[in-house]
Amino acid sequence: MAESLVGLVVDEVEYGVEEGKIREFARASFAEDPVHTDPSVAHARGLSAPAATATHVVVAGHHRDQRAFVARLGLDMTRIVVGSVRWEYDRPLLAGDRLTGRRVVIADETREGKRGGTMRLVTLETTYTDAEGQTPVRQREVLIERGAR
Amino acid sequence: MTTTLQVGTALEPRTIGPITQTDIVRFAGAGGDFNPLHHDPEFAARAGFTAPIAMGQMQAGILAAALTDRVGVEHLRALEVRFVAPVEIGDVLTVTGTVTEVGDGVATLALAMTKADAATVVTGTASVGVPVTP
Repeated sequence: MAESLVGLVVDEVEYGVEEGKIREFARASFAEDPVHTDPSVAHARGLSAPAATATHVVVAGHHRDQRAFVARLGLDMTRIVVGSVRWEYDRPLLAGDRLTGRRVVIADETREGKRGGTMRLVTLETTYTDAEGQTPVRQREVLIERGAR
Repeated sequence: MTTTLQVGTALEPRTIGPITQTDIVRFAGAGGDFNPLHHDPEFAARAGFTAPIAMGQMQAGILAAALTDRVGVEHLRALEVRFVAPVEIGDVLTVTGTVTEVGDGVATLALAMTKADAATVVTGTASVGVPVTP
């Protein structure tokens, strides 16, 4: 059995939340609320700039090397699926935010699959820190590696 | 944003689709997911699919937007999604949601995304801050 990876820092990303990227992401997810695109609507709702959509931190994909982190975790890319994702918010992300996301392994378990083979479940938590050192959002994802047949 | 959330309150269902390759490519470009499973038909065929499939994060984004368009993204406290089945090109997706609990200024919603044949592709839960009633 593979050694537990709990505590391993998988990767760290840093990026700015851009107005154009918010608009692109809102369109790609069929969001209609103008709070994502119109500064005056954002201001009227007490926000200093357009708000990102709820799952905006997914743009971290642009800043990560998927193959490298999967290899780092010792997982087989062809057998991985994402089982679930959870986001917790202290506030919405806004255009102009500068984020650092640190992704850490917080659980690493094996389970016997229903159809034989051992499944491995790796839980990763990314803590996003803003320029003030606050944590507006945390993301937790469970990767499932299906058993080799 | 004015909205009333009580136990049993249902979000207006949102239907998206049929999902096209263009929709998937647009999301890939927005999010940076260039796994060929989502745009390369030959690669998808080798993985056992008849055509490229959408990335789970696309379903999550569509589900989240259906919720936040109604309640306001600034009120969202937590969102969790579970991926149940893949979304293929041509699928028509419907997002539904119902408030299951209200307490301490927070409403809990059960969310789901289903295909036209009623098969579930994503389930989810969300916590949304609601104004305290005087």
